[in-house]
Amino acid sequence: MKQIALYGKGGIGKSTTSANLSAALADRGLDIMQIGCDPKHDSTRMLMHGTWIPTVLDQVREQGDEGISADQVVFEGYRGVRCVEAGGPEPGVGCAGRGIIATFQLLERLDALRGDVIVYDVLGDVVCGGFAMPMREGYAQEIYLVTSGELMSLYAANNICKAIARLSRRVRSKCALGGVICNSANITDEKTLVEEFARRINSRLIAYVPRDRIVQVAEINKQTVIEYAPESAQAGVYRALAGSVLENTAMTIPTPLDMDELESLALEFV
Amino acid sequence: MNSNPSPLNLSRYEGCTITGALAVSAFIPDALTVVHGPAGCAHHNLSLLHATLLQHDRLPLPRVYATSLGEKDIIFGGEEALERTIERVLQRNPRAVCVISTCITETIGDDTDAVCGREWGVPVIHLHSAGFLGGSFNEGFVNALKGIGTLVSPAEAHDGSINIVGEKNLEFEVEENYEEVARLLGLLDLEVNVRFVRNTRVDDISRFSEGSLNILREGALDPIGRHFHEQFGQPYLSGFPVGLQGTRAFLQAIGDACGIKANEAIAAEKALQEEVAADFADLRGEVISLSPFGFQCPEFFLLSEVAGAIGVRIAPEGTEIPVPFGTPVGTAGIRRMLHQWRRFLHA
Repeated sequence: MKQIALYGKGGIGKSTTSANLSAALADRGLDIMQIGCDPKHDSTRMLMHGTWIPTVLDQVREQGDEGISADQVVFEGYRGVRCVEAGGPEPGVGCAGRGIIATFQLLERLDALRGDVIVYDVLGDVVCGGFAMPMREGYAQEIYLVTSGELMSLYAANNICKAIARLSRRVRSKCALGGVICNSANITDEKTLVEEFARRINSRLIAYVPRDRIVQVAEINKQTVIEYAPESAQAGVYRALAGSVLENTAMTIPTPLDMDELESLALEFV
Repeated sequence: MNSNPSPLNLSRYEGCTITGALAVSAFIPDALTVVHGPAGCAHHNLSLLHATLLQHDRLPLPRVYATSLGEKDIIFGGEEALERTIERVLQRNPRAVCVISTCITETIGDDTDAVCGREWGVPVIHLHSAGFLGGSFNEGFVNALKGIGTLVSPAEAHDGSINIVGEKNLEFEVEENYEEVARLLGLLDLEVNVRFVRNTRVDDISRFSEGSLNILREGALDPIGRHFHEQFGQPYLSGFPVGLQGTRAFLQAIGDACGIKANEAIAAEKALQEEVAADFADLRGEVISLSPFGFQCPEFFLLSEVAGAIGVRIAPEGTEIPVPFGTPVGTAGIRRMLHQWRRFLHA
């Protein structure tokens, strides 16, 4: 079983990338599970054809965690991809990080974490220990950073590198960086910039996803690009990403940059 | 390890902040206390309180409630659990409710102030008690006194009476110490207004502002002394009287603060102290050594002062006598300590 996690700045396209990656992997006949680890709970929506599935924490809130069964929190979407949304408290109260930890413990207890590949789609920043959960305890062993060439996006990716570097020092840690996915924001020389960023953090660019209108069109039709436009060039990009991820064995411990290094890198490409 | 070994404030700079807050709130007979946190926070602290009170043969035991937060409350926020518990507690018709917050509720950002600030019909007071913010027993104790201070209504004028602030409700000699201070005040024809807070009812607490002077139980409460000085314009004295000379100085300080001549009271007290020394004349010439119990401070000035006054010499070869667990208050406290010395010397 391969467990991978996608991290990156909020709004950068983690969920779109995750869902298309899961769909492309499922097309190969693999048993796939995708877990959205974000209180916004919109990670799996395209795989579920627009349905908002009940989140794990919705169920916990309504009935407590004792009587919950796997079929109340795991839902089959496109090509049998098993979809889970962790969910979270109402914005502004409680502790969403603890919610992620509780979700993992519940899924563990329900024996629901299985399949050929589990894809964890995690919210923007690793703001606390809870949101580092997918990187901990041997869950996701490969982390992929999703970023564009924008400075703030690189900054977020760099911060996540700090979390990976820190957690990888722990004795039981198995997580490492699998690579960087550039989700284009149509910036000049963006691919070269992100490639250089990846090199400097001791990693590599594993996929360049161009900006394509088909992504929005598929989304309006409540489907992944893989499902809505399987013949499109964009679907080909996601399939290639799926192939790269499956074959990837080059894991590294990232070397995060300091702020000056990051800014001077961005300056080189202005 | 006791980081602050002075017998004056033994272990108050350690421990759980909730214990400090409870050591105040549990001593308002017509108020009820809610610990907003996991059941264990309430249980552990209440057990400690119960054990101490039972050891001192003091009953009845105070009633304390807990919101008993579980993981669900932590993830989704504990404010609803607090509201439910306050509603439940109000069915017992308390005159006030004290809500003690805990580490976890402050960590997840529960707005305890907002819940307490709702219109409940009686005052519901938030006593800040998140120990991880650097607090200790003393922090909880001080925060609780500050919180209870919100029950006080401003007075138009001070009436010349004296407030006693921050009595150590968990110390064995709490009543004896109070009586000693009240006796000393009596020498100056002064009366106690409010014991803030020891078995004091909510209505009585509200009269706190009428007092002209606040006597703090100990120096660790100076922040509270300043707080009430700012709020109600009351001067304060930090600490109950300690030592022979200290007790006479205490009378002088009160006299100064209240604009009363203390000469006669001081002379009367000096005569009493000479009488005490005479009562223990049988100890003259004895040699003692002071055993610190491992954590007490044998260099405490009171011990050498008293030894000097009755003609007892302190030397390593002397009979081993424990440093008193609680600091003797006033002349009466010294008399009790000397009885203990006599028991050890004549054992």
